[in-house]
Amino acid sequence: MIQMYHVDLRYAGGTYGLRDVSLVLERGDFVFLTGQSGAGKTSLLRLLFGAEKPSAGQILVAGRNITRLKASQVPQLRRQIGVIFQDFKLLPERTVYENVAIALEIAGVARSEIRTRVWSTLKRLGLAHRIDHKPRMLSGGEQQRVAIARALVNDPPLLLADEPTGNLDPALALDIMDIIADAHARGTTVVVATHDPALLERYRHRRVVLEGGRLASARSPSEYASPARHAGAI
Amino acid sequence: MIDARSTRRIAAALRAGARGARERPLVFGLAVATMAAGLLVLGTYLLVIANLRGVLARAGADLRLVAFTELRGAESDDAVTALAAKLRAQDGVASLDYVSPAAALERLRNDLGQDAGALDGLDRNPLPGSFELAPAAGPRDPASLRGLADRVAAVPGVTEVRWGEPWVEGYARAVRIAEWIGAALGVFLLLVLGTIVASTVRLSLHARADEIQIQRLVGAGGWFVRLPFCLEGALQGLLAAGLALAVLRGLFALGLPLLGDALSWLLGGQPAVFFGPAESALLVALGVALGTGGALASLVNLDERA
Repeated sequence: MIQMYHVDLRYAGGTYGLRDVSLVLERGDFVFLTGQSGAGKTSLLRLLFGAEKPSAGQILVAGRNITRLKASQVPQLRRQIGVIFQDFKLLPERTVYENVAIALEIAGVARSEIRTRVWSTLKRLGLAHRIDHKPRMLSGGEQQRVAIARALVNDPPLLLADEPTGNLDPALALDIMDIIADAHARGTTVVVATHDPALLERYRHRRVVLEGGRLASARSPSEYASPARHAGAI
Repeated sequence: MIDARSTRRIAAALRAGARGARERPLVFGLAVATMAAGLLVLGTYLLVIANLRGVLARAGADLRLVAFTELRGAESDDAVTALAAKLRAQDGVASLDYVSPAAALERLRNDLGQDAGALDGLDRNPLPGSFELAPAAGPRDPASLRGLADRVAAVPGVTEVRWGEPWVEGYARAVRIAEWIGAALGVFLLLVLGTIVASTVRLSLHARADEIQIQRLVGAGGWFVRLPFCLEGALQGLLAAGLALAVLRGLFALGLPLLGDALSWLLGGQPAVFFGPAESALLVALGVALGTGGALASLVNLDERA
């Protein structure tokens, strides 16, 4: 699903967000992207959904080389990817329904189908009773569930989540992770950036560790007890 | 060819634009008001120019070429008619009037007024018969009038042609200057208005920054983001032009009686006229174009990847 080859991300001024990152994620994988703040987790996710262009290297998403995408082709890529953020990024003046429907409207889905899909997604995420509410009337966990509903309503093959539980208390964090895990169980490839050890402990999925913009290690669940294997061997 | 999916996207973008305008009535109203003020200034200026141009056009329409002839008043009517026919056949002559030597003398007597007695000593009428020629409709520029005068002067029986060359050249210069000043002022006002629109759209863009960011994140293309702003700009331009026209019409109706004689003097005794349907439609179209153009200009640097 995702292949990254010797990817650099260098910002204006010469500082590196990522350096020589190579990584392969198979379709259906669930991967935690971990590391300290500033390690490059968000930068890596931003590369994957086309918000940044790598300074060097190649990135393939679903077989498509996104480093060669023109800016005008980025929206097409993003319609294939669901993205969840720590700060939810909901429209405060729109209802829950409208916040979720926006992804389908932009994809050009018929209004009758939008109604059906939004309803079923909200129902699955336990938000059907909140459909006409504005985000400010919801709890933090509910707001994040709305953001997840927006990310999933289009049935994307790839879900990227940037610290999705960062603003939530532990109980709600697990609730959100369960929803993401459910999406994974339905076949979605999932990449979750987090530095929350409790989540990493509870959900034993593959971990990709970043340090100072470099890939420090990438371990499968069975390797957690063994020393880190370095990036070159992925 | 636009497919159903694209049509639905366009519809969604338009709905987003309409919703944006509804959600920020203050910004929207402010934009309409500032554009209307600008268009009011522009409309006032255009109205003044249109009326002054009317004065110049009417003055130009009154222009006559005078062809002096060898006719001394003793000739038969046939001779006058024959020469008139030759002159009428010249390219660029719309109509003509014959002024006999006696009529010319009578005019001179009237023009001299109290001094007309000076003419009493003449033993014969020294004035020749002449034709006053009205040029055909078209430009009254010195070059075309000089060409017509040369053709008329070449007709046998015509001794001299006068056509008020200094006046015509002054008239042409006045029209040219008015047009240049008009164009410069027009461009200046359009730039000012364009800047106002672009600023208000940027304000709207800023107010909707979060919405745009989210739209981009879920895959909205550049046009999906731009279209609502263009629609909003066009709508603002339409409303602003309509408002400016209404205010201008009101001011015109109220101001006419107040200005009275001064305006009549300025317009050479002609009544001031308001825009016709075509000019009104043009101003509205200008407002729409300004609104759309201002929106597009402010969206030129929209980051496609952000």
